[in-house]
Amino acid sequence: MNAPLKLGLKQRYSLLTSGLDWTPSYQPFEKIYPYAEFEGIKIHDWSKWEDPFRLTMDAYWKFQAEKERKLYAVLDSFAQNNGQMNLSDVRYVNALKLFLTGVSPLEYQAHRGFAHVGRHVPGVGPRIAAQMQSLDELRHVQTQVHTLSHYNKFFDGFSEFRHMHDRVWYLSVPKSFFDDARTAGPFEYFIAIGFAFEYVLTNLLFVPFMSGAAYNGDLATVTFGFSAQSDESRHMTLGIEVIKFLLEQDPGNLPIVQKWVDKWFWRGHRVLGLVAMMMDYMLPKKIMSWREAWEIYFTEAGGSLFEDLARYGLKVPKYADVATAEADHLSHQNWATFYQYCHAAGFHTWLPSAEEMDWLSEKYPTTFDKYYRPRFEMWAEMEKEGKRFYNNALPQLCSVCQIPMVYTEHGDHGATSFRVSDYKGEKYHTCSDGCKDIFDGEPEKYSQAWLPVHQIFQGNCGGAGLEDVLKWYKLNLGADNLQQAGSPDQKLWDEWMAAKDKVAG
Amino acid sequence: MSHVLTIEPNGDSVEVAEGQTLLDACLRSGVWLPHACGHGLCGSCKVEVLEGEIDHGDASAFALMDFERSEGKTLACTARCLSDVTIEADIEEDPDGRRIPVRDFTATVVGLTKLTHDVMEVRLALEGAGMEFQAGHYVNVGFPGIEGARAFSLANPPSEPALLELQIRRVPGGLATGYVHERLAVGDQLTVTGPYGRFFVRKSSPLPMIFLAGGTGLSSPRAMILDLLAEGRTEPMLLIHGVRARRDLYDQALFEDLAARHPNLTYIPVLSEPAADDGWSGETGFVHEALQRHFPEGFAGHKAYLCGPPPMVEACIRTLMQGRLFERDIYTERFLTAASLEDGKVKSPVFKRL
Repeated sequence: MNAPLKLGLKQRYSLLTSGLDWTPSYQPFEKIYPYAEFEGIKIHDWSKWEDPFRLTMDAYWKFQAEKERKLYAVLDSFAQNNGQMNLSDVRYVNALKLFLTGVSPLEYQAHRGFAHVGRHVPGVGPRIAAQMQSLDELRHVQTQVHTLSHYNKFFDGFSEFRHMHDRVWYLSVPKSFFDDARTAGPFEYFIAIGFAFEYVLTNLLFVPFMSGAAYNGDLATVTFGFSAQSDESRHMTLGIEVIKFLLEQDPGNLPIVQKWVDKWFWRGHRVLGLVAMMMDYMLPKKIMSWREAWEIYFTEAGGSLFEDLARYGLKVPKYADVATAEADHLSHQNWATFYQYCHAAGFHTWLPSAEEMDWLSEKYPTTFDKYYRPRFEMWAEMEKEGKRFYNNALPQLCSVCQIPMVYTEHGDHGATSFRVSDYKGEKYHTCSDGCKDIFDGEPEKYSQAWLPVHQIFQGNCGGAGLEDVLKWYKLNLGADNLQQAGSPDQKLWDEWMAAKDKVAG
Repeated sequence: MSHVLTIEPNGDSVEVAEGQTLLDACLRSGVWLPHACGHGLCGSCKVEVLEGEIDHGDASAFALMDFERSEGKTLACTARCLSDVTIEADIEEDPDGRRIPVRDFTATVVGLTKLTHDVMEVRLALEGAGMEFQAGHYVNVGFPGIEGARAFSLANPPSEPALLELQIRRVPGGLATGYVHERLAVGDQLTVTGPYGRFFVRKSSPLPMIFLAGGTGLSSPRAMILDLLAEGRTEPMLLIHGVRARRDLYDQALFEDLAARHPNLTYIPVLSEPAADDGWSGETGFVHEALQRHFPEGFAGHKAYLCGPPPMVEACIRTLMQGRLFERDIYTERFLTAASLEDGKVKSPVFKRL
């Protein structure tokens, strides 16, 4: 009665790849995989790994080649048609500067990280997976740089993105996030980037930027977004497989994995504060508020994820409730900070218009009018009087997330949130319970953090004056920084628009 | 107009409504396909179309490349059927699952026995050679004058293919189960379609088995155990049957007798709310609690078969997983009721079958 059975895709793949692992005979196992055990993760049976990458190398090149052809065709046509002139508004370009200096270099870091993990994790399945993801990430950074290079022909703030990523104060926030992951062991890296970042938080990073691009006339960026997202199936499946595998292999892995999930959720949430600000303040045409994005992509999608993972005994990340409550404050506090410090930033800022403030009131009914509108209105008043406010004091930074200590206390939004730890006779400051827990978990690591403000004070950043430091950042004073109004970007845009109007008559 | 979608390599078929995506139709019928983003961007749900015509919908040009389209690939999360369609998905063939074509039967009621105050045993005779099935399968039964068929697991082993035994609890306010308890009579004729389901014993595995049943969820484990014992299988088997009180317990004598005759079978009835006059000295609590007590060392090295109300199944899955038994060794039938379809909960892609 049974019909003849066909070989499934998975069986075909496993027949093709079986036997890639072998037992070493020249060198002991521990010498080949020196990082496999120090984290305390126990693996008993690598054969239980279910390989989520059912893709062979020849097929991989074929796929990626077609993706590249499609993307570069769009980039060519965008350039030939002067796509930059069809943006909703020139202010949008600042979101791209933030992306190129803050996010694209992370793709490169992910490439390096997965290459390292692919070398050091025992077990052939995850090794192949990590190596293929490493190649994907390299492709992502290249396509992003190529896409945004078109904007570099016209606008300031793009040309030194790589250099800036390593030096500029606020870019140490995303940079240190990945440095932290890459200097951890291979299993922590897998959980940090493969699970927490690529699976739990990735939609909160990519969807806002890509939808923002779509809403604001940036077809080039939308296309690289689609191109990168089509690789995500492998990355997301890998993230899920890693956490399941670790939890199933040994009961002792659960507390270790839980600690990593707690840590990397909180670290990721802090980095995403830059996206929150981008969505609520930097997009001329808004897609949705950060609060709404958080509800959809973390509360709902993450909720069902953690409900399923609870079967293993894994809990929702610690302080997820705090992050959800603070979603009503995050973007406003970040934008207010950049407004005060945009003389030292690689993009321009502005105050929200009356219409934008009404939109913010509507999206944040419990917080915007009460805490943030009065401040923006006061600054607008000061601008009118010719007393535009710049903060000239260097801020104190959190020793973990490296964000200036600007956030308010959870539950008391009149007070600064401020935590202190003592380690080897020194005091270390953190911005929240989440960051303090992380510091206290590995004080030796975070006490060595390269904190931009400390480095300036120690004389390691080109000098003591603002101009010296900006020069060291390769930040072009008067062009890359300061207000949007009066910037060369704005001037160029106004000329374009005037010429357009003229033609249109 | 709806179409029939057949999913290889398992050979399941599901009905796809006009405009419904392949993925949605599958997930709503309990057929799991790999998926992640759900809107045509990531490519996790890529399948191959073997027969029939589909519309790719909003599949991203990067997630479903041109050369893949020409090779007959599509994304289940955006594709819609334009005809009856057969796809091959990236799912595993189960060597213990038999392919038995679904057929329609006319059945005659030959026996009605009240098992408890609200459970009726319905015995149905099929014409001819009857219906081939595997222990754990279910059938859809149509009742005269009641719209829509109702699913019931078969409680008897497949060695008697011309006889079907159903254990039907009266659902308060339920139209069909009310009909069974009040009006159904010996000699009545009903329409039966089947067999359905992916719940069956993995007989190729020699591991000891745990059967967990809640209420009338007993029917499938009952069929499975009767089938295994009749085949002379000697692996250790444990059955835990949970009900509320003594008056809800049935088939106790059957399983006590089987356990007495088969040393490899252990039977544990457990009451969650024994009544004061039940005189109950056996196990109390929920099924997962009895399970935990019985295996203080954990469950590794077993196969577990679960059948019962969703909260009981979920509690048992958590107990099993925290006791080191994972998805590859846990089996359950997913009954989709009107309520479970409407709760609209987003399912994460962590688990395939559970």
